[in-house]
Amino acid sequence: MTPNLASITGIGSVSPYGPLAGLIPPCEFEPKAITAWPTAGLRRAFLVKPFRPSDVVPGLKTRRLDRLSAWALVASSLAIQDAGIDLSQVDRSRVAVVFGTGFGCAELTEAFYQSAAVNGWSGTDPSPFPEGLANAPASHVALWHGLRGPNITVGAMGFAGESALIQAASLLRHGQADLAIVLAGDTLTRAVYEWYESADLLSPACYNAKPLPEGAGFVPSEGIVALVLEPAGRRDMRSYAHFSAGRCAAGGKTVESIQHMLNGSVPSLTICAGNGAPCAPSSTGILAREISGPGAAIVEVRAVAAGLADAGALLHLILALSSRPRSGQALLLGTSGDSGFAALLLELA
Amino acid sequence: MTFGRLTPVTDLPVTDLPVTDLLVTDSRKTIVVTGVGVISPYGIGLDCLQAGMLSGKSCLAHTKDVYPGFAGTIAQVCELPVYELPLSANGADCKGADPRYSRQYSRSDRLAMVAARDAVSNFDCENVTFRESGVFMASTVAGLSEIDPAIAEDPAAWYRRDDGLARAASYPPAHVADAVGEHLGVHGPRCAVSAACASSAMAIALAANMLLDGVAPMMLAGGSDALCPFTLSGFNSLQALDPEPCRPFDQNRKGLNLGEGAAVLVLETLAGAQSRNAEVLAVLRGWAMTNDAFHTTAPQQQGNGLADCMRLAMEMAEVSGDEIGYVNAHGTGTPLNDIAEANAYDAAFSGRSHPVPVSSTKSYFGHCLGAAGALEAVITIMAVRRGALLPTLRLTDPIESPSVNWLRGGVRHQPLPLAMSVSAGFGGSNTALIFGKSGFGSGPS
Repeated sequence: MTPNLASITGIGSVSPYGPLAGLIPPCEFEPKAITAWPTAGLRRAFLVKPFRPSDVVPGLKTRRLDRLSAWALVASSLAIQDAGIDLSQVDRSRVAVVFGTGFGCAELTEAFYQSAAVNGWSGTDPSPFPEGLANAPASHVALWHGLRGPNITVGAMGFAGESALIQAASLLRHGQADLAIVLAGDTLTRAVYEWYESADLLSPACYNAKPLPEGAGFVPSEGIVALVLEPAGRRDMRSYAHFSAGRCAAGGKTVESIQHMLNGSVPSLTICAGNGAPCAPSSTGILAREISGPGAAIVEVRAVAAGLADAGALLHLILALSSRPRSGQALLLGTSGDSGFAALLLELA
Repeated sequence: MTFGRLTPVTDLPVTDLPVTDLLVTDSRKTIVVTGVGVISPYGIGLDCLQAGMLSGKSCLAHTKDVYPGFAGTIAQVCELPVYELPLSANGADCKGADPRYSRQYSRSDRLAMVAARDAVSNFDCENVTFRESGVFMASTVAGLSEIDPAIAEDPAAWYRRDDGLARAASYPPAHVADAVGEHLGVHGPRCAVSAACASSAMAIALAANMLLDGVAPMMLAGGSDALCPFTLSGFNSLQALDPEPCRPFDQNRKGLNLGEGAAVLVLETLAGAQSRNAEVLAVLRGWAMTNDAFHTTAPQQQGNGLADCMRLAMEMAEVSGDEIGYVNAHGTGTPLNDIAEANAYDAAFSGRSHPVPVSSTKSYFGHCLGAAGALEAVITIMAVRRGALLPTLRLTDPIESPSVNWLRGGVRHQPLPLAMSVSAGFGGSNTALIFGKSGFGSGPS
């Protein structure tokens, strides 16, 4: 058996389902037409409906921030609220923030390029520059909540969300933090969407209302998920799941590596976390069946979360937790490229 | 499994012990450096860096037309070889094959690949253990150097021209980690960190955590950033650049100069290094990360977050402030950073019997952003191994700081059992690394 290292005690999210504390009520969700930039005909995506962050978290001022930073502030506040944590009673020098992202603050990065296109490199607008840094969302979370522990922004091809959770658990394990706010997310911008489109990665569902054909591209998405991660068993608390172990690798002996990590555990549930690449949902499913054995339940890739690409793992996780009874052990499994994988072992509570 | 402070690696008091006995009761929990690779404005390799810096040569140069309409003082890497194929023949297994968006390596990627290749130049890269290595790289620029402002006008049109699709694919910092992993043919975990100017020191700290977690037998950790109009323009718009060569910690400092480069350390446990009879270059004795939680761009003026970070690293290393023989500072040369950093040293080293020697080596080749922490880690290791404390160049009128002995003038030579490298960045991130002299491993390097 693998010991539980850390517990997920709070969830907050800003996603196409809206800003929410806790689990996401099950519902079907259709892609929406993109209106934020000019498109050559109908283009659809899973979009976050605009909202005022201060309506959700009173006092938040987000006007100059990238949407990703604003969402990180909202999601982290909702997660801390969901965990029932009063930060004034916590040693905030021992609280870490770990953020996983694929593209970082793409909106303000594009705004800086726009400013250079209009004014030349010598006349750029200074305001988007520091706010466009990839670590701006994590920094704002630290600033707003007064969190002075490690503040880390990670990326990993296909596995930014998984990597954030693994790094946060490692900080707790090594006593470098007592509590961690783990976030993963991305925004959808014109440049990102058109890159996917130019690379032929999009599903036909982006162009019309037909259902998603399996394995034929994906519908881009946006949003962010925040989790509160605490050492397992430290306080009497409600927990969604316990994190037991995690591995990411770019290749090698995938099945053997995952079985080594499982250390004899037999997950009753495998959650497939597709990362957006056309081959990933099916390759993840094949690996899931190979790892899980014939009797295990497998949660297939959810389109809204798959659209978040590198940063979708935490949304995959909370959608799975939201839709199923929580008991037994679960494996959150993602694949990327030819043989890369991420595997997280969780005990559902 | 229990939580709490790191299990001490030794029960022995560290003071008064000879260097070779400073460590270690559990070689699986001791992290050592067994490879160092670097590309800097001095050239490729530690020897170039060492020779240039010990001679007091500055690579900072005033350059016209850094981009149209902008002249400034920068430090550039002149020689950047292009490696088209993975170092390991088996590394080809990891590559994607779709030619429409196949790998195009950014300048940051290529700097990283050169540094990584240098770091493992004496390794058997076909060895099974090596092939299981992980990669933890840092970058803030990554593929921004490959993208121009026209992308903002019409992204789809930009992707259609001049390999735009492939160039844009190099945008995320994770691409740098992938480039290193593919180039060396290693298939352990790959991750990237982007925490502004503390990034690569943080990558080293997080890679050390991963070794303690047992997820890979070796980690290649470091950072890489290329000079590009995006960052030059950004820092220029913030009025953070000194048009002349920078003067860190001087009362008359005016700002920073940007540089470029990459550095990669090979980290492994002492047990792993001993099992393959590897030469141990240095011991990573302690590391810590904190955040100011004060402002997105300005450091907290008393330097509290940075001071806490240094204290935590010393606590982990189980050493006192008196035992730190040298601090390689963040020392950007900006008015706000340097005074906050000086205050942090006063706080962290108060009570020390004599001022702590401190210098900023950004005065030699500028601020390399996401690569800075790793480059300065290499310089700190070099200082420990050679017993050579480098001065800050152009420091004539230092900030008053009772706990600091600002190194200036010539190189000081003295035994140096322990030294610290300090990094900080936008967003309030701080990282401190403590390196110790190695008494291990007389085997082949």
